[in-house]
Amino acid sequence: MNMMDIRHHPEEERLLAYAGGRLEAGMRLVLGSHLELCPYCRQRLRALNALGGLLLEDMEPAVMADDALERTLARIDALAPAQEHVTQVSAPPPLPPGASWPRSLAHCSATPWRWIGPGMRWSRVSVPESPEAKVFLLRIAAGKYLPVHTHSGQEATQILYGRFHDGRALFGPGDFDTADGSIHHQPVVQDGSECICLASLSGRLRFDSPIAKLFGALVGM
Amino acid sequence: MAAERPQLTESGDAAIVRGHRPPTLSVVPIDPERSATPGDAWGEALRALAERGDRQAFACLFAHFAPRLKSFLMHAGSTGVQAEELAQEVLVVVWRKAALFDASKASASTWIFTIARNLRVDSLRRAKGIDAHDDEVDFDLLEADEPCVEDRLHTSRESERLRGALAQLPPEQQQVLRLAYFDDESHSRISTELGIPLGTVKSRVRLAVAQLRRLLER
Repeated sequence: MNMMDIRHHPEEERLLAYAGGRLEAGMRLVLGSHLELCPYCRQRLRALNALGGLLLEDMEPAVMADDALERTLARIDALAPAQEHVTQVSAPPPLPPGASWPRSLAHCSATPWRWIGPGMRWSRVSVPESPEAKVFLLRIAAGKYLPVHTHSGQEATQILYGRFHDGRALFGPGDFDTADGSIHHQPVVQDGSECICLASLSGRLRFDSPIAKLFGALVGM
Repeated sequence: MAAERPQLTESGDAAIVRGHRPPTLSVVPIDPERSATPGDAWGEALRALAERGDRQAFACLFAHFAPRLKSFLMHAGSTGVQAEELAQEVLVVVWRKAALFDASKASASTWIFTIARNLRVDSLRRAKGIDAHDDEVDFDLLEADEPCVEDRLHTSRESERLRGALAQLPPEQQQVLRLAYFDDESHSRISTELGIPLGTVKSRVRLAVAQLRRLLER
């Protein structure tokens, strides 16, 4: 992927909330996956992290417990020598060439791809620190589209592979997008290749058609 | 300055260090407050920690940062007990990861701030444990330790510029920026507390950050 092709970035206040550690789990995960790919946004975040460092430096010191340093050193002494990172896991399935799984997913697990319609598959991602977070992967074939919908909360999407157009703009690999109740759209995957996205949702998707509503209710979207 | 005793500026800090066993290794004198570039001194302490496991350097870092971390975390919504625990934990991570600190990428306080932020999020993670189902795939093989690699240079000189830029912002813009780090709640809470509409909070945040960036680019 050519990083210069990333055209859709998170808004300033969302990046600030990320820097301050105030984003809810799903949004943080999706935004984290964007930052991995986007040097421009990492650069933007840098100043906000530095601001956090500055505020920390300026804090009026609180009184620590008398034995705070001893206890901390005892914890350090108890640290096991760097364990070898051995994990018995089923590795995520490979993505098409040029795409890779975001490292922000590292502590998560996901269901296998499940069929939800012609040319449409999805995988539910479990976020350990926030079991209620609705995070999922969508894999949609070239030329297919999601049913028309709007949102009761915030939807965040990071495009991992392929392209879609939702009537507002064209989104491609590396792009980040958010949508809420003010946006009524139908993402259509462009011809040529399938599209794979990581998405988070607070609230639900509101589909226009009754059949899509039924499908949304089934998968909890 | 005597090599065996770190230079400390606050009596509270000194009390913490005094209670600690004598250091086993010699220490580079650290005087961040007097130094022309304070961030560099903490960077030096981190290097001493990384290279020699220098306990005295660690004690200095602890004396300076732990009380500020505790204070910061309490402002961000933690109880005193939680903040104490987390502040200690942050310093354990500082010890473990000192070798990863890169002074060309961030100042020591910025680096420690990001550790604290991530740890606060992680502490929620550890509080809950959920088991994956048998057929699920695990992403554990992906390296997640440092999800956000900062790119370019960030020296202590830049921190000074940031400080200067922040001071030039109008008070109401400084306020929304601070709240973004200290308040655990969303913008809507900020909106209620400041008695201004949500839209105004958002535009004020945008303005404040844009203004800050402009000042930094000068």
